[in-house]
Amino acid sequence: MSTFLVSVGVGLAMAAILSLSAVAFTLEYAVSRVANFAHGEFLTIGAYAAYSAQNVFHQNVAAAAVVAALAGMLAGLALNVGLIEQFRGRSAITVFIATLGAAIIVENVLVMIYGAANVSYSFAQGGLHHVGPFLWTTSDIEVIVSALAVAGLLYLLLQRTRFGKAIRAVSQDRTLAQVSGIPARAIVMRTWGLAGAVSGFAGFVLAETIGTFGPTLGFSFLLLTITATVAGGIGRPYATLGGALIVGLVLQIGGTYTSSAYELVFAFLLLVLLMLFRPNGVFVRRSAIAVRA
Amino acid sequence: MYWVSVFTEAGIFAILALGLDMVWGWGGDFDLAFYGYLALGSYMTFVLTIGRPTPPVEYIIGWHLPVVLAILVAVVVVVALAAIIGAIALRNLREIYFAVTTLGAVYALYLLVENYTPLFDGYNGVYGLINPGQTALRLTYNGYRIALLGVVLVILFLAYLVVQRLSRSPFGRMLRSVREDERAAAAYGRKVFLTRYRAYLFGAALAGLAGGLFAIFISAFNPSAWTPQELLVIYAAILVGGRGNPRGVIAGVFVVYVGFIELTRFLPSPASRPDFSPAMRQVLIGLMIILMLRFRPEGILRERPGLDEPGRPARPLTRPFRARALAAARAAASSSGSPLDIDPAALSALPVHEGTADEGGTG
Repeated sequence: MSTFLVSVGVGLAMAAILSLSAVAFTLEYAVSRVANFAHGEFLTIGAYAAYSAQNVFHQNVAAAAVVAALAGMLAGLALNVGLIEQFRGRSAITVFIATLGAAIIVENVLVMIYGAANVSYSFAQGGLHHVGPFLWTTSDIEVIVSALAVAGLLYLLLQRTRFGKAIRAVSQDRTLAQVSGIPARAIVMRTWGLAGAVSGFAGFVLAETIGTFGPTLGFSFLLLTITATVAGGIGRPYATLGGALIVGLVLQIGGTYTSSAYELVFAFLLLVLLMLFRPNGVFVRRSAIAVRA
Repeated sequence: MYWVSVFTEAGIFAILALGLDMVWGWGGDFDLAFYGYLALGSYMTFVLTIGRPTPPVEYIIGWHLPVVLAILVAVVVVVALAAIIGAIALRNLREIYFAVTTLGAVYALYLLVENYTPLFDGYNGVYGLINPGQTALRLTYNGYRIALLGVVLVILFLAYLVVQRLSRSPFGRMLRSVREDERAAAAYGRKVFLTRYRAYLFGAALAGLAGGLFAIFISAFNPSAWTPQELLVIYAAILVGGRGNPRGVIAGVFVVYVGFIELTRFLPSPASRPDFSPAMRQVLIGLMIILMLRFRPEGILRERPGLDEPGRPARPLTRPFRARALAAARAAASSSGSPLDIDPAALSALPVHEGTADEGGTG
């Protein structure tokens, strides 16, 4: 039983990170109707930016996190200007392939800069704590708390501010939002910046949680992100949180009882099952028609 | 010898690309699992030919089949896997959902092969298939490699002939009609799933065949040889050459493989960083994909225009068809009961689309 609870605890930490990444992915999809395959690279960029920053800022975790978020934001803005807007009006699959190309470029530029070998942070992981039935390190707790905080802020941003309202309007119908006086292009731009920042931060906490990471960090995490997004229902930010919880728990519990090497296998099996039976997410009633092209 | 191996590799990947183009170019399904099919074909060819494993090495089967037979069995295994993945992914999922599902499937396969050693010895991989049949054919090492290039090119040519024939067949047109408008094709009685499924299985068979040849070519295989991202190079080649055009696809693969290897040899490569120039090569491939998609999505050689596209003269019936149609018209005209008033001369003068005459039977 205690093994089970420990894996649930680790699963919750993983779910917290996953929820950040998945919310960002779903925001990108919502405003641009793009399944952004370069999304994982935002996380990688954030992780490496924090890696470069950790020595400059003398092991200050908060500063490294801010640097990661800033780097992710710049990457998000750059991708929107350089690629997504260039491909406006093209078919979804064309843009998807283009982002796949962008992902390859970013990943290999990082290899050229930092090398293909894994690197790791030198932040202290902190001691182990028993919180209720769970066993967490200090950094696990920081991860969960910060992810919840960011998720809460995002919720307030989307529900309570004019910017959030504009994002929702643009994601409903960009042209209609434009004629209603919403500066759609700027809103899309800012959304990509926001999504990039959230992803960059998520990349930092992910790398911090895993311990060591390499240039493929984000790409491997992308499939988990997509699984979580699909589990929640793509384009629906709040349901995504639930999806992340499901995926994080399935991943950790499945991995604990077989071998950690098979964690991702469980995630992909879950993805395939979701695609088969609940392509619009587990929280809506089944309708396969909607995902047909 | 260097060029022999470059061209052999390009030839093998051209076979894979022909298969992939059927799925993506004609059918419109962006599949990311194909490199897994090549890998499985390769693995199966190894374990069917190199005999029992000596501990601590472990892998399944371990027979001593002749290599040609082994490749055939490997193709069957690959098609069986594709039949499962295709049955899941093709039924209801399209576009990005399809792509993501196939990517998930191939990653699951990859992780399984890498971590579950009893299958194909995990990360160490399988090896030991060194120039099968070299002594029987009494060839030198170099002679064998040249012969292998010849065999690969012949198989590529045969594959091209089959694919080109299929491309112009009712099946090829049906597949394209499904790509262009699935609902219209279904409304005209085409079985959408079955059409895509058949193309998928055929494409996977070509991928498995390429995998078998690849096994002979590189004589050792492990997970570092087939990260699923490798497939993007093939997509880049198809994009450059011309999606949907078999000739263009082959040209694209040779341009990308031979051209790229030749160009990137002159890139700066610091001795202390062996990963530098492969990474730069990948960056260039990514750039090529984006630029081709943005500025010339149809590639160098365009897909053959459809039969009903403007600017293309309608072709008259082929001789046997015309003869049969004429005979039928005469018979109809001579039997007095016929309400039709057909003038055989007018019929023979009429240019009729090929497509309307011979497509009827293959709904």
